[in-house]
Amino acid sequence: MNETAKPIVSIAHVTKQFPGVVALADVSFDVRDGELHSICGENGAGKSTLMKILSGVIVDYEGEVFLKSKSMKFAGTREAEAAGISIIHQELNLVEQLSAAANIFLGREKRTRFGFLDDHEMELAAEKLLAELECHISPRALAGSLRVGDQQLVEIAKALSLNTDILIMDEPTSALTEAEVERLYRVIERLRQREVTILYISHKMDEVFRLSDRITVLRDGELVKTLDCAATSPTEVTRLMVGREIEAVDFGQPRQAGEVVLEVDNLSLPWPGHARQWRLQDVSFQLRSGEVLGIAGLMGAGRTELLECLFGASEEVPQGCILLGGESVSFRHPSEAKAAGIAMVTEDRKRLGIFAEMSVRENISICTLQKAVQAGLVVPAREQTFVDKIVDRLRVKTSGPESRITSLSGGNQQKTVIGRWLLTDPQVLLLDDPTRGVDVGAKAELYRLMDELCRQGIAIILTSSELPELLTVSDRILVLSEGVLTASFDRSEATEHKIMEAATVSARK
Amino acid sequence: MGFASKYRNEIGLLVAIICVVGFTLIFNQSYLTAPEINVKNILHQTALLGIFALGAAMVIIVGGIDLSSGSVIVFSASICALVLMACAPVDESTGMPQTDQIVGWSPVLLAIGVTIVVGLVIGTLHTWLITVVQLPPFVATLASLVGLRSFAKVLNPAVSKALGSEVTKVRADAESFVLLSEWWVALTVFLVLAVGCYVLMSHTVCGRHLYALGGNEEAARLSGIQTDRMKWLVYSIGAVTASIAGILYLAKIGAANPATLGVGYELNAIAAAVVGGCSLRGGIGLIPGVMLGVLFLRVVIDAINKVVPKGSDDFQGMIVGFLVVLAVAVNEFRRQGGGKKKQFFPGSLGVAVIPILSLVGASVLFVMYGNTAGIVTFFSVLAILTAWKITESAAAKR
Repeated sequence: MNETAKPIVSIAHVTKQFPGVVALADVSFDVRDGELHSICGENGAGKSTLMKILSGVIVDYEGEVFLKSKSMKFAGTREAEAAGISIIHQELNLVEQLSAAANIFLGREKRTRFGFLDDHEMELAAEKLLAELECHISPRALAGSLRVGDQQLVEIAKALSLNTDILIMDEPTSALTEAEVERLYRVIERLRQREVTILYISHKMDEVFRLSDRITVLRDGELVKTLDCAATSPTEVTRLMVGREIEAVDFGQPRQAGEVVLEVDNLSLPWPGHARQWRLQDVSFQLRSGEVLGIAGLMGAGRTELLECLFGASEEVPQGCILLGGESVSFRHPSEAKAAGIAMVTEDRKRLGIFAEMSVRENISICTLQKAVQAGLVVPAREQTFVDKIVDRLRVKTSGPESRITSLSGGNQQKTVIGRWLLTDPQVLLLDDPTRGVDVGAKAELYRLMDELCRQGIAIILTSSELPELLTVSDRILVLSEGVLTASFDRSEATEHKIMEAATVSARK
Repeated sequence: MGFASKYRNEIGLLVAIICVVGFTLIFNQSYLTAPEINVKNILHQTALLGIFALGAAMVIIVGGIDLSSGSVIVFSASICALVLMACAPVDESTGMPQTDQIVGWSPVLLAIGVTIVVGLVIGTLHTWLITVVQLPPFVATLASLVGLRSFAKVLNPAVSKALGSEVTKVRADAESFVLLSEWWVALTVFLVLAVGCYVLMSHTVCGRHLYALGGNEEAARLSGIQTDRMKWLVYSIGAVTASIAGILYLAKIGAANPATLGVGYELNAIAAAVVGGCSLRGGIGLIPGVMLGVLFLRVVIDAINKVVPKGSDDFQGMIVGFLVVLAVAVNEFRRQGGGKKKQFFPGSLGVAVIPILSLVGASVLFVMYGNTAGIVTFFSVLAILTAWKITESAAAKR
């Protein structure tokens, strides 16, 4: 690749704000014609937002995007495709009920002289495109019946039929088998021979270093650096990816962990119909009372699935052994876990946590309303008493327990959900990314709350997308990568860099 | 939340009921000349519809739907009548069971007991189809809607023949059973059930869990609520209330005819629940609202009966349809924040809908009052809606 190759895409001072968050802050870099340019960064670094801007999914942003030196402002994905930019999303976008050929030509169907669909012509063209991509499927096969790897190639074929010269691939290998990954690499090589410029999003270092010409690292929505692949190393890139800042919280005295309350032995969670076969594979660890066990891992590493297994909420039945207080347990419904003293604050607060139609009071008392019952009826005064206690203890900011839960800020909503579970007197508290969508001040409050709970003897498992958060709050940190436990650190030896290395290692055997 | 904002819907319904009654008073003398008969009649009808509307409403509150009530009513009525027949003394000369010869309460109580168990069985079957087979509630209860009526049609002649009777319409005219046709019996049953449902929904843990399930099923499950048990409870209540209504309809009419009894009643019940403030999205709805919704529906239907000169029965469906659209539209409008400017006739769809609405209005007035009324209505509705569209398009452009 020629150093002086002209940029095909120039991103100039692009800023994108979502309510409360800056997703991209003044990002500028060039993509050279014909290169494979990788974009790396942690969860939430702004990779996807940037790609959505380039592909016309996000249309309102500040700054400018130049395509072949011309300033472009796409009004939608159609316009971006017409200009030669296609994107292969991580979640594939095929109409499952239509054939591969019909998907490739969706919206641009070939027609006969009489205006009817020309299926024959489309199937021939599709077959040619697919053969070129080593995809040996019938163009008449329904997209839904294809393996994920083949579906992806159908999308790539669609991009080729559009005469795409810039192809964006968002973590394309995340759902592929080993053989499919190798085939994808060959397809990428062929695309490069056709002089297609590829923007490659991934956090797997071996892939990035195998394929890229250059690498751009994003962190917290800011551009850290653009590097030549030949002149850098995986260690340097992971070092650049980490280093987010959070508010410092001082917890005073170090905590003392007590005895083991939860022991997980060779826990595996099957994943039927997926190339990886296992969402979790042979995970083992111990949890002591009075400690915070952090679980790190990138998107799709299996953090949520692990907590769901412990809480009896997983869709499939997990294999392996879970010991709670020395006794083997296997919960098949969250109510059983709740009765045994496990509580879980779910990841997606809006979808899985709060009851939007209900008041703050009703949201807090939902798990423990039975405590307020006398002669079969709920006594409002009793319910009020323990709700008030929690509101005070967690310092929930609300105009009153009767206000709608949706009138609270994200942090206060999260506190009500945590409060709901504290009322069940849990031994083990599972917190799945509890600070997502919570502002900085409220985050620090949640950290202090976790510390306080630990000191009262509760054992906490915390997952987070933010490494500094894990490093601040946790006593120990486990790292998951693709469902496999790849590392375990004590707080004293853990660094963001070490964790990131363990999280980006390809764990597949 | 204060009283006024919590019960806003109920207060609105009360006002609406008073308005409709006032309207009927102006156009018809019957309320003044025979108040007692009218009140009894309306209350009887309200109670009968209300009994299974309570069940329908609870299913809607947990985010489901029960389309089967009408057929459960006729099926339960058939079962009840068949049990009565089986208990009846046989006429020695013809060999036919004489239901009017039944003495005492025990056969009647047996029939009622068996019928309620049948309701429970239907509800349990629905729950199994929905939670285990994972059919959408719409499909599971639609199957019952179609299937149970047909089942009753087959069952009635077969069983009554086996019992020695020749009739296809299964009769139930035992003296003690006919007592159940009194208006105050239905009203008492309705009020008792309504109080029970109100206490269950608003003052027990179970009720709170039902609202939670309706509002966010996944969050409810993750809060440790046994969502499948909750569903069994409401679908059983839905079917059992329909069975109870079936018994009372049987007592009122005296025979269970699968071809006519309870046709379309499930939609009246759903309509009453929706008019009463239940959201089809689940999680919202109060029992007092449902009771007022039923009363409102019956008062409106009664008003039509009084005011419309001919064929008033046939107008019921239109009225119910119109009220449901209106109630849901008002609720949606409120949910979306009301204050926002909303275009009701945007673009070409708006252009197409204006003459359609004018035609509908004109047709109704035409059949009621003849040519002139139809033509006048058509053009006035057309003019009003066109003016509406022009102003709203102008406002949108600005």
